[in-house]
Amino acid sequence: MSIKLENVTKTYFSGEVETHAVKNVDLEIMNGEFIVLLGPSGSGKSTMLNIISGLDNPTSGKISIDNEIISDMNSKQLTKFRRDNLGFIFQQYNLLQTLSIGENVEVGREISKSPFTLEEILEQVGLSSQMNKYPFQLSGGEQQRVSIARAVVKNPKIMFCDEPTGALDEEMAKDILGILQKLNRTYKTTVVLITHNPSIGAMADRIIKINSGKIVRIIVNKNKLKASEISWG
Amino acid sequence: MLFKNVIRTLKRQYIQLLLLGVIITLSSFIYTTMDYGVGSILVATEDYFDVSNQEDFAISMIDMILEDDVAFISNSCSLTTNVFTLSALKNVDKDCYYNLMENRLNIIENEYTGINIELRESKDVYFDHNSSSYRIRFLKGNSEINKSFFVKGNAPINNSEIAISEAFGKSNDLEIGDKINVNGSEYIISGYVLFPDYSLPLFSANIIIDNKSQTLGLLTNQEFENLSEYVEFEISGVFTNDSVEAGFKENVIDTLSENDNLPFVTNIVLTQNNMRSGAIYSEIEGGQAIGLMLSLVIASIAILIVGIMVSKILHSQRGAIGILKSMGYSNSQITIPYIFFIAILSFPALILGYYLGSLAATPMANLYRIIYLLPSFYINHNIKTFTVAVIVPFSFLIVVSYFIIKKILSQKPVELLNPEKLSNTSFLAKAMGKYLKKIKITGKLKHLLLYRNMMKFIVFLIGMFFASFLILFSLSMVNIFDKLTVNYYENTNHNYIGYCDYVLPCDEPIGSQEKVIELPSVILDNEQVYLVGLNSNSSIHNLLDNKGNNITNKLEDGLIVTKSSSLLKGFKIGDDLLLEIGDDSVVIKVVGITEEYNGNKVYMSRADLGNILTSSKDYFNTVYSKTTLDKDHYMAIISTQKIMEQSEIMQKLFEIAFRIMIAVSFVIGAIIIYILTVMTIEENFYNISLFKVIGYNNKEIDKMILGGYLLYGVIIFLITIPIAILTFIVFTYFFAQYYEMVFPFEFKIWHAVVSTAMFLIMFNFGAVSAKRKLNKISLQEAMKMYQI
Repeated sequence: MSIKLENVTKTYFSGEVETHAVKNVDLEIMNGEFIVLLGPSGSGKSTMLNIISGLDNPTSGKISIDNEIISDMNSKQLTKFRRDNLGFIFQQYNLLQTLSIGENVEVGREISKSPFTLEEILEQVGLSSQMNKYPFQLSGGEQQRVSIARAVVKNPKIMFCDEPTGALDEEMAKDILGILQKLNRTYKTTVVLITHNPSIGAMADRIIKINSGKIVRIIVNKNKLKASEISWG
Repeated sequence: MLFKNVIRTLKRQYIQLLLLGVIITLSSFIYTTMDYGVGSILVATEDYFDVSNQEDFAISMIDMILEDDVAFISNSCSLTTNVFTLSALKNVDKDCYYNLMENRLNIIENEYTGINIELRESKDVYFDHNSSSYRIRFLKGNSEINKSFFVKGNAPINNSEIAISEAFGKSNDLEIGDKINVNGSEYIISGYVLFPDYSLPLFSANIIIDNKSQTLGLLTNQEFENLSEYVEFEISGVFTNDSVEAGFKENVIDTLSENDNLPFVTNIVLTQNNMRSGAIYSEIEGGQAIGLMLSLVIASIAILIVGIMVSKILHSQRGAIGILKSMGYSNSQITIPYIFFIAILSFPALILGYYLGSLAATPMANLYRIIYLLPSFYINHNIKTFTVAVIVPFSFLIVVSYFIIKKILSQKPVELLNPEKLSNTSFLAKAMGKYLKKIKITGKLKHLLLYRNMMKFIVFLIGMFFASFLILFSLSMVNIFDKLTVNYYENTNHNYIGYCDYVLPCDEPIGSQEKVIELPSVILDNEQVYLVGLNSNSSIHNLLDNKGNNITNKLEDGLIVTKSSSLLKGFKIGDDLLLEIGDDSVVIKVVGITEEYNGNKVYMSRADLGNILTSSKDYFNTVYSKTTLDKDHYMAIISTQKIMEQSEIMQKLFEIAFRIMIAVSFVIGAIIIYILTVMTIEENFYNISLFKVIGYNNKEIDKMILGGYLLYGVIIFLITIPIAILTFIVFTYFFAQYYEMVFPFEFKIWHAVVSTAMFLIMFNFGAVSAKRKLNKISLQEAMKMYQI
């Protein structure tokens, strides 16, 4: 699935003060691409991800995914679109504590039209043997794998990842990034990942640098590295 | 700054806080209204009875000159005419009459020690004025017992003055200083008077009380003597010794029939058992039962729920408290603003409830004065009521809040700032997880999300239980007043009751009229009951059981007791009871219980009762009739319609008290459901957001989040029904045993329907309100927040 942003702006109003979180952004993301949105804290990268993914609406501009204009969709249509096409991973794992690992993944699987099997996905994230455990019995990295599995099991066309390694140490972070890379390659899933860590850009097809709500630079990465090969900054 | 932070944080929950304020206000209001309403009557009435020295007992005497009297008269009077009654004697020879009376009083005083007695005389004057009929019972002013009490104005000082009851004066637009024409004589009203032996203006066997057409009156003693009407008399008595009082019933009243020294005494009645002077006691006892027990139950539930809600609100502040703690604020610096704002939110609400309650208490207490002749009431604020209505709930809320905050503060800042991590999953969640293994995850979540935090789930269940209980409690009282007053008469087919003269027997009933025997005071199994002899094939007065079946024909096999006598006296079906009538006694089996809730009534076959009384199965002393009875043929005729009206007026206070409690319970119950629903959904904010992000639609999310709560809410609601019914049964027996009052709480199917509808309405209303609020928070923000 390809994503296209045309002159997208997001403005927040606080009293009389206007804050432009995203300003006149034009961007096109190709099907199956691994994109890293890179920028310092407060640069507007999270806002941009939220707008691209339909979690938030732009103040102006047009966003289309495979020619479907999501910026014009209402809440119900957006829900349907997310359900059928998108997967999300956040810094917080947001797992349901009362459900086992398998059941947490089932939460994502149950609403999908063409889901992967539970076994296949747990195999992909390396948690086959942990299926019956509960979240509190897992490490942070393992919990993030579960949240990845929950997002991927739906067989989404696009994965949006908001600082997925922000709460993890280097080893665990590389592990998670490796899984995302594998999924991207295996299933041709488009991945849009935001991070403030420049090192992660080394595994992306393109790095989009953002500052003050604007795209300041787009770098095409011709020497993509495996996640395990990244030198952590 | 911390105060500002707390204000802003709590401001976000202003609707819940406002509704909690309403519950707090209502809890304080209901207790204060009932306690002051009843308490003020109690205090004012006791003061009035003390000041006017109310009789402790009344002695009735036969209005006939007996053999011993004749001997006395012949020795001390010089009578020239033959008289046979004392009232006639007074008209012939007043001195002789008073000497004879003094002699009777001396005989009684010689017989019993530890008492003081005084003659109580009255004359009834009937007259018509402006085409309306009136009656005044003039009581002669006493000097020691049952002294007149002036609520306004003064006692008559000359023969042209009269004092009347305030109720009569107001009903007839008569002010002090106005003139009133009584049977051709004109009097000036000097004051409004009360007499403690007539707190209920009951002048005859006809219990119809109407303060507009009848009054008690006071004249000068000379003018009283000038009235030509026949005198009626009794003896009023007070105890001067506590030990005499304790054994009076056993030693004096119960042995009176065996005492040959007092042939002229027909009856001795303790004030508590004398309707004209004692009914107010049972009224106050009933009021206390309602005021202090039921309102306390409602108020306690309300405050308990508020405590739970405050606990939930404070737990939602976990993160904020963690931030303050991490910044280095001390525990007391963090605690004080929270406690301070809980105090300033709850204290005014409690004070408001107390204030409104004390205002409502006055008109409620004054309802007594519609029918009872009592002085006006003033609400005397007292520390006990204030403590229970304000200080106790306030302290409870503050202490609960303090301990909750203390518990939160006992955790490390890092723990407070991070999600409340579960170190294990509840046993129930695991068990249910296995049990629900084969069902879809969305269906499973409906249950498992609830078991995530057992404490919160239990709080939800307790809250819903009490809310359901209060709603069912309020509905169970809807018909209580009618059951106690008019249902009995509404269910009978007769409109008139005619009481035959003791001397001249009644005419044989005609048409649909039926013979009945009514014996107001009969001993059954050592308990005093009202025995009614009824035809077992009666078509005019059917006895119905609790299922509405006609059980009148069971009278052929034994006694049918009323539900109230069953509750009060403990009679059950199958009991063999000893019935004592005069010198006769017979053992009879209880064969049925009829659904009547007024009085200690017991029914038996009229033919059997007639046989016991007169050896004739045709005997009767009362006639029930659909049509009007000829007043010349009966000693008294009572219209059941009038009795119904009378009962409604007499029990106005009960009615108002029940209505207040019904409304308050219902509102509190509804508010609890609303607040719990809102809080529950807000607690699930992160889950709702997560499901939205994943792609679940609103319907699916409602099914998972609300579906579980709704399901368990309905389950707890259904569980509450039998518990509530059991509680009502316990309440009914408790009031019957300890207060000798019957409160027929009842449960009907429509109560469950209305309660369920109310539950669903408030649940959905709360859900919609909460979701509207949650929808304003963006999903991405929700996902960045930590989950609970």
